[in-house]
Amino acid sequence: MRYSVLLVAPLAAGTLAAQGPARPDSSRPAPPPVLSLPIPAAGTLVAITNATIITASHGTIEKGTILIRNGKIAAIGKDVAVPAGAQLIDGNGKYVMPGIIDAHSHSAGEAINEGSRSVTAQVRMQDVLREDAIGLYRELAGGVTTLNILHGSANTIGGQNAVVKIRWGLPVDSMLFAGAPPGIKFALGENVRQTNGPQIPGRQQRYPRTRMGQEEVLRDAFTRAREYQAEWKAYETAKAATKKGQLEPIPPARDLQLDALVEILEGKRLVHAHSYRADEILMLLKVAKDFGFRVASLQHVLEGYKIADEIAAAGTGASTFADNWAYKLEAYDAIPFNAALMAERGVKVSINSDSDERARRLYQEAAKAMKYGGASEEEAIRMITLNAAWQLGIDKMTGSIDVGKDADLAIFNGHPFAPASRVEMTLIDGRVFFDRLKAPTLESLIEMLKRRQRPNTTSGGAQ
Amino acid sequence: MRLTPAARALGVAAALFPLSLHPAVAQSDTWALTNARIQTVTRGVIDKGTVVIRKGLIEAVGPAVAVPPDARVLDLGGRTLSPGLLDLTSSLGLAAPAAPTAGGGGGGGAAAPPGGPRPGLDPEREVARELKVAPADIKPLRDLGITAVLVAPSRGLFRGASALVPLRDSVTASDILRAPVAMHMGYQGVPGDYPGTLLGVITYQRQSFYDAQRQALLLDRYKANPRGMARPENDASLDALVPVVRGQLPLFIDASNENEIRRAIRLAKEFNLKVTLVGATEGFEALDALAGSSAVVSVNYPQPAQTTKWAYRLSQRRAPGDSAASAREAQKLIEGNAATLYKAGVRFALASGGSRDFLPNVRKAVAAGLPASVALEAVTIRAAELAGAGEILGSIEAGKIANLVISNGDLLSDSARVSGVFVDGIRYEVTPPPAARAAGGGNAAGNLPPAQIGGSWALNMTSPQGPMDITMTVTQNGASFGGTMTSMMGTNDISEGQIAGRTVTWSMTLQFGGQSITLNYRGEVDGNKMTGTAELGSFGSATFTAERKP
Repeated sequence: MRYSVLLVAPLAAGTLAAQGPARPDSSRPAPPPVLSLPIPAAGTLVAITNATIITASHGTIEKGTILIRNGKIAAIGKDVAVPAGAQLIDGNGKYVMPGIIDAHSHSAGEAINEGSRSVTAQVRMQDVLREDAIGLYRELAGGVTTLNILHGSANTIGGQNAVVKIRWGLPVDSMLFAGAPPGIKFALGENVRQTNGPQIPGRQQRYPRTRMGQEEVLRDAFTRAREYQAEWKAYETAKAATKKGQLEPIPPARDLQLDALVEILEGKRLVHAHSYRADEILMLLKVAKDFGFRVASLQHVLEGYKIADEIAAAGTGASTFADNWAYKLEAYDAIPFNAALMAERGVKVSINSDSDERARRLYQEAAKAMKYGGASEEEAIRMITLNAAWQLGIDKMTGSIDVGKDADLAIFNGHPFAPASRVEMTLIDGRVFFDRLKAPTLESLIEMLKRRQRPNTTSGGAQ
Repeated sequence: MRLTPAARALGVAAALFPLSLHPAVAQSDTWALTNARIQTVTRGVIDKGTVVIRKGLIEAVGPAVAVPPDARVLDLGGRTLSPGLLDLTSSLGLAAPAAPTAGGGGGGGAAAPPGGPRPGLDPEREVARELKVAPADIKPLRDLGITAVLVAPSRGLFRGASALVPLRDSVTASDILRAPVAMHMGYQGVPGDYPGTLLGVITYQRQSFYDAQRQALLLDRYKANPRGMARPENDASLDALVPVVRGQLPLFIDASNENEIRRAIRLAKEFNLKVTLVGATEGFEALDALAGSSAVVSVNYPQPAQTTKWAYRLSQRRAPGDSAASAREAQKLIEGNAATLYKAGVRFALASGGSRDFLPNVRKAVAAGLPASVALEAVTIRAAELAGAGEILGSIEAGKIANLVISNGDLLSDSARVSGVFVDGIRYEVTPPPAARAAGGGNAAGNLPPAQIGGSWALNMTSPQGPMDITMTVTQNGASFGGTMTSMMGTNDISEGQIAGRTVTWSMTLQFGGQSITLNYRGEVDGNKMTGTAELGSFGSATFTAERKP
C-alpha cells in the first residue's frame, strides 16, 4: 500500500460503526454516500443539493444545487436538475463556499529560508515539500484547498513559491497546482536586515544591513538579469541565422538564478513581496516600474492603508493579517482596519495566515474585516477566496463558485463567519479530501479510548 | 587457445574494467579448501567440495577438484564457505570531516564561492588518493565476514569519487579493487554559507549538472575543432561531474527518507543520470518512484522514536491513538523494507549503513520476509555488481578474486559464526566476538536497566559555530525522560527522550528568526558524566561532554 492514509478515514469510520448506533453525536444526519478516492472516473457526477451557496462572485443562492462533473463545476442554481446516478451530498442546512485560498503559507516546507545570500531566486519551494506535514491536513479541515507556499523573508530576493492544492494523501508532486503561474518571494525591512532575534554564534552578518541596501540588491539583480537576457537573445538570433551545415553557436551558460529573474522581467513570474512600511513599499513599486514588471502582491503590508491609492494604481494586490500588530518595530503602525480600508480604495485584498495554526480558521480572520472597517460580507469572503486567487493568477480556475471552475469547495455546518461554525467537508476538484464524519477527529479518538476502558461492552458483559 | 580460468578472468577484468587500478595480485600461497560446503551464490550449493586458490584468485571450484601438489590444504570439516561480503557504505580510512567553514555572507547575489573547494562541495575529491587505513580499523570489519568495502565520505553534497577497497591488512592505493566506482552525493549543505539549507542544496545540485552538461558540450566542441574557439576552462569540479552527465560514472545519492528518495529520482530524470540510491530506509514508501532503479539499502534500522519522527510520521498514515502500536508497526515496516523492495522488483544490495551489527540486521530483514537466498545475494553478488565489480567479486566461481568467508552453517543463520576469512587469497584469522554480543545479537544494551539521569546537567557543546554552554534539567520516567535545555538560545523542551542501558537519546527543536531546526542528541552515561554527539540539522554535527550538578 503506497498511501495508506487513504485508509485512515474508512478505518476510523469502521471503528465507530462497530459500536452500532452510538455515534459521537447521534443527532447528526447519516453520512452521505462515500465518494471514491482517488481520482473520480471520467463522467463522475457529484451534486450538492439544497445548500446555501456563497459564490464569492455573484452573491448567495439559498436552497441551491451545485452539480460537479469531472471535478469541474457544471451547474449552479435553484433549479438545477440532478442527473440519475450522481453521488449526492445533502446540503440541507449547510453553507457552501469556495475552497479557501491562503496566499501566504509555509506549510510542508522542509526548509523555508535559504538566507545565505541576498538573492536566491534560484531555489524552489517545490523541491523541499513533504506531503506528510500535518499542518496540511489541519488546513484542509479548516476549508483551505489552495496554498501559496512561500520562501521565507530572510533575504531580499528569496526563492520560488509553490502553489499547491492540498490533495492530502497523494504524493507531493501531485499537489502542485497545474496551470498556476510561477511566483517568487521578495522581502524588505527588518527580517532582511536581520535586526530581530538572536545572532547565531559564528555566523557572519550578511549584506544588506539597511533598506537602502535592499534597494541596491534589487536594482543590481535586475541589471544582471537584463544583461543575461540580452546574452540569450543574441544567442537565439545567431542560432536562427545559422546556415545549414554550419556549426550552431554555443549557448550561454544557464544560470538558474537569472532565469527566474528574467521571467519576472518578462511578466511570467509573479512577485509576492514581504513588506511592512509605506516607504519600503513605495521603493519597491518604483523599482518594479523602472524595470517594467508588476508586483503581484504585497505580503503583510501592514501600512498599506497609508498608500492604498498607490498600491491600487500599480495593479498590485495586498495580502494582510486581520489584526496582528506590534510584534516588531515595523509592525507598530498596523491597524485592524487595514484590509477594509485598502479594499475601499480599490486594492484587491486578501487575508493570509503565514501560520499553520491561523490557516485552520482563516474564515474567522476574514470576518474581522466586516467588524473593523465595515467590509461587505461578499468582500470579506473574497479576501480568502477570489482575491487571493487573483493575486496568485489562478482566478480563472478557482476562487469562486462559477460554472467551469474547479470544484474546490468548503461545506460548513453554519455561516462561515458565525463563531461556532465549522467545516464539515472539503472538496478539491470534486473529490472529498476531508470529511469530518470520517476523519480521525478528537471525537472519534475519545470514542476509541472509551471503548478501551470498557473492554466488555461489545459482548454485552459487565457494565 | 585454452586459457586457465584465472588468466581468462584477468583478461575479462582487464577488458571490462579499464578504469580499474592495477589488480592486486599478491604473491600469496596456493590453497586447497577441502571438505567444504560451498555456497557459490551464483551456481547453487555444493554440499561437499573443494576450492583451490592460486595467486589471489579462485582457480577451481567443485565437488571433485583435485588438490594441486603445491597447495596448502585446509580441511574445513563440513563448514560453509561463502563469498566474502561487500559493504557499500563505508568511510574507512578517510580523515574525519573537517568542520564546515562559515564563508562570507556574500553581497549582491554573488553565486560563486570565494576561494577553493569547500568541504562537501568537492566532486573532484578522489578517495583512492587519500586512503589511509590502519589494520586495527580493518580487522573488526573483516571479522564480520566483510572482505571489501566501498569507501566514500559520509557527509556533504558532492563528496567525490569512491573506491572499492579490499580488507587486507595494510591496504594501500595499489591494492584498490576499483576506482572511481561512483560519484557520491547527498543532501547536506554548508552551514552559514550557500547552499545552507535543503532549498539551496537541491538547486546547487541542479545548477552543477547544468554546468557540467555545458562543460561536456564545450569539451566535445573543442576536441572536434579547437580552432577559433576559446579553450574550455580547466575546472576540476566541473570536469569531475562530466563523466556523470555523460552516463559514464554512476551517481550514488545518499537518500534515506521518502522525500530524499523522490528528490533523487526527480534529479535523475531531469538530467538523465545513472543513479543508485544509498540508504533507501523508507524505500517501502516510495516504491512507485523506485521502479526500475537500483539501491544500496542500509540495514541500520533507525529506532522509530529516535530519528526522523517515524512513529509520528507513520501514525499519520495508520490507525490513530496507540503510539506503542504505531512504533511497533513502524519498526516492522522499517525492517521489512528490503522484503518490500524485493517484491516490487527493485535491484538492490544490502549494506551496513555504518552499523557493526551488519549480519544480525540482515537476518532481521530475512525474518521480515526477505528470502534468505536473496539476502545472501544482496550482500555479495548484487553489491559487487552495483560497485561495477560483478565479474571479479561476489560469488565463488573460478576466475574470481578469492574473497571467502568460512562459517559454521549458513552465513545468515542465527547461529552462524565466522571462523576464517580470505581476502585476495590471503588467509586471515578471526577473533571470536565477545560472548555477550554473540548471545544477545549485538544488543547488549537491551539487557541493562536504564541509567538514572534525573537532575541537572552542565553540558558543554563544541559545534562548528563554536562552543556553547547548556544547562539541562532531566525528569526521568523509566526508560524515557523529559526536561529542558537552557542556553544563550533560550530555554527549550526536550522531546523524545529515551534511555537504553547507558545510551541516552533525545531531541530538541530550536526556533530562531522564523526558522526551526531539530537537534538530535546521543550520549553515553557513565555515572555523573556523559559524552556524546549532536546532529544539528543543516548546521552539521557537534560533540558534547556533560557533568551532573551536585
